[in-house]
Amino acid sequence: MGKDFFTLFKKDCRMLASGKFFLMAIGFLILYTAYVNLGYIRFMHMEPYNVYLYDPAGTQTEKSSLVQTVSSMEDMDAALLSDANGVGIYAGDGDVQVVLYAGAERIDRHRADYALSLLRPWTSRTPEVLGTNTPEQKARKDITCELLFFELTAVGFLGIAAVLFKEKGMGVIRVHAILPLRKSKFLLSKLAVFLLSDLVFGVLLTLLNVGLADGAAILPAVLLQTAILSLLMALAGLLFALLLKDFRQFTLAYLVIAIFAATPVFLSANTSIKLDWIGYQPFYHVYMGLKNAYFGSANSPVYYAVSVTAIALLFLAVQLAFYREIRKEG
Amino acid sequence: MKGLKYQMKSVLQDKFCLMTFLLPILVALGLNFMGSVDMSSLGELHFGVLEHELSPETITWLERYGPVTAYGTQEELTAAIQEPSTNVIGVQADEGSIKTAISGDELDIFQQAAATLPVLYEQRAEAAQVKVQIWERRDILESLQDMFIPAVLIVAMFMGCTFNAMNIISEKEDGVAFVNEILPMAPGQYMLQKVAVGFLFGSLSSVATAWICFRFSWHNLGILLALILLSSFVAALMGLFIGKFSQGLMVGVVYIKILMLVFMAVPIVCVLLGISGPLAVICNIVPSKSAFEGIMALSAGDMRTAVKDVGILVFHCIGWFALYILIFPRRIHPQ
Repeated sequence: MGKDFFTLFKKDCRMLASGKFFLMAIGFLILYTAYVNLGYIRFMHMEPYNVYLYDPAGTQTEKSSLVQTVSSMEDMDAALLSDANGVGIYAGDGDVQVVLYAGAERIDRHRADYALSLLRPWTSRTPEVLGTNTPEQKARKDITCELLFFELTAVGFLGIAAVLFKEKGMGVIRVHAILPLRKSKFLLSKLAVFLLSDLVFGVLLTLLNVGLADGAAILPAVLLQTAILSLLMALAGLLFALLLKDFRQFTLAYLVIAIFAATPVFLSANTSIKLDWIGYQPFYHVYMGLKNAYFGSANSPVYYAVSVTAIALLFLAVQLAFYREIRKEG
Repeated sequence: MKGLKYQMKSVLQDKFCLMTFLLPILVALGLNFMGSVDMSSLGELHFGVLEHELSPETITWLERYGPVTAYGTQEELTAAIQEPSTNVIGVQADEGSIKTAISGDELDIFQQAAATLPVLYEQRAEAAQVKVQIWERRDILESLQDMFIPAVLIVAMFMGCTFNAMNIISEKEDGVAFVNEILPMAPGQYMLQKVAVGFLFGSLSSVATAWICFRFSWHNLGILLALILLSSFVAALMGLFIGKFSQGLMVGVVYIKILMLVFMAVPIVCVLLGISGPLAVICNIVPSKSAFEGIMALSAGDMRTAVKDVGILVFHCIGWFALYILIFPRRIHPQ
């Protein structure tokens, strides 16, 4: 029994290797790691607004060191033009005037009041800090979570379908119909290959981008979520591949999933935009499961129960579709 | 012309091909819907307070800067502050003034806002008397949406590439490629027909996308059209390269995915990091960079940059075309 499974497993691995699947996964791992470490982390900074002061008479003696002094009105115009988030203060003839380029109304009010507060002596009061992550840790976890989610939905879904279509074309399913093997093994070995490769991908991506110490601490939780997502996507991929006619039809289904399913999820889960209907989007819950794992929050038992049920139901559906395919081919 | 008619006939029968061109248009419609989602709230300050703790005046004062949400218990407030996807600043009363709480993982700008909020509160009476002059700005990108639009447009142009690559690969797989080789048709003619189909549909899809997304002004219509047509042509040529190089559908999809990532990532990273100097010149090797830059420049009203990008795209068209002719010269098959 075990030997059959191992032979099938080996055959699937060879199939993926010949389709350059592993090579592609390694390529994307390198690309993502370079993107996170060389690009994303560097531009995820938003410094406080710059404040420029034009004070020809030198009336503002108590100003903070954060205020930059300019020597003429023209200099201030130039500074504001190149730094549209900056705020200019003109302290010319006795009274103070604030000048700024329009943004969102409420932010403008805050920018103006903040700039004025820098003219008076004050002590910055350190706010109470409730979390444990630094901004860089948060940015790393955020982007790694997004990339892992994207890659799992893409690789699992597309990869397994590509393999199955190739096997369909080669007549492997027809051969399986007459082989003395339990039919579920055919599906299980494929799931095992993808699960294993996704888990390895998850471990490497997390350790390389979140950092060794931070990454190792969250790894067990992340792997559990990776396994759930990987199984769900691989089963969905199998189901689509069994139901659709050819790979081109499948690529379309894939594009729809990638664009329409993932975009609102990213928007809702990463920004303060909350769409009312997002609770009905199944991907949202899976994504939040993964995100909670990265940020160390617990997932609810209901989520796990639903995930396991979904995996079981999908497996049943895939099995039914597979038998139908065998009957059709046989 | 007759050959082109046959190519069109085969395209129109293929539902998949038609759908690839419809996708960007659907995304553009989606983006328009997203326009109704208030993107400007992204950079706003969000405050969390405990119910019935702060005076109504303080709440009104906070609301001048950003939305305020009241939570029933301290635990709920703490959870909202710690929630990684938002930048909620917790505000509580503190002996006649206020004190703030943050999660610690916010960007500098939010941390600074939280640190200075009590001072702003104490100085609110003086600040109210100061005259604030707000200048309108026309040439600054309004929101994230402005970055999405060129990105979707590039995807639309790119569809010509996907289409051509898929078309050639499936011809290879079905064996039509062999039939083509013995047809009384010059390879150059064949290539032109293939490029024409992808180019035509790619630019149609892009024009429709642009029409939905862009607020047109007539004087820059010509340059926008030039940008769209030239980059659709380059994308269609790229599709031809992918089709020639890939052995099977799966490998083709991988190449397309990689090329698409490069096409999307290079221009966006260039804009976000503000890359300039020799590196920016090197980035021009990726045609989508000029297209993206040109469209962004056009929406900001910078005609000079847009015209320069049209020039770069013309170079791309000629260069890639020549490269194709060089790599795949006219082959004579001994029959």
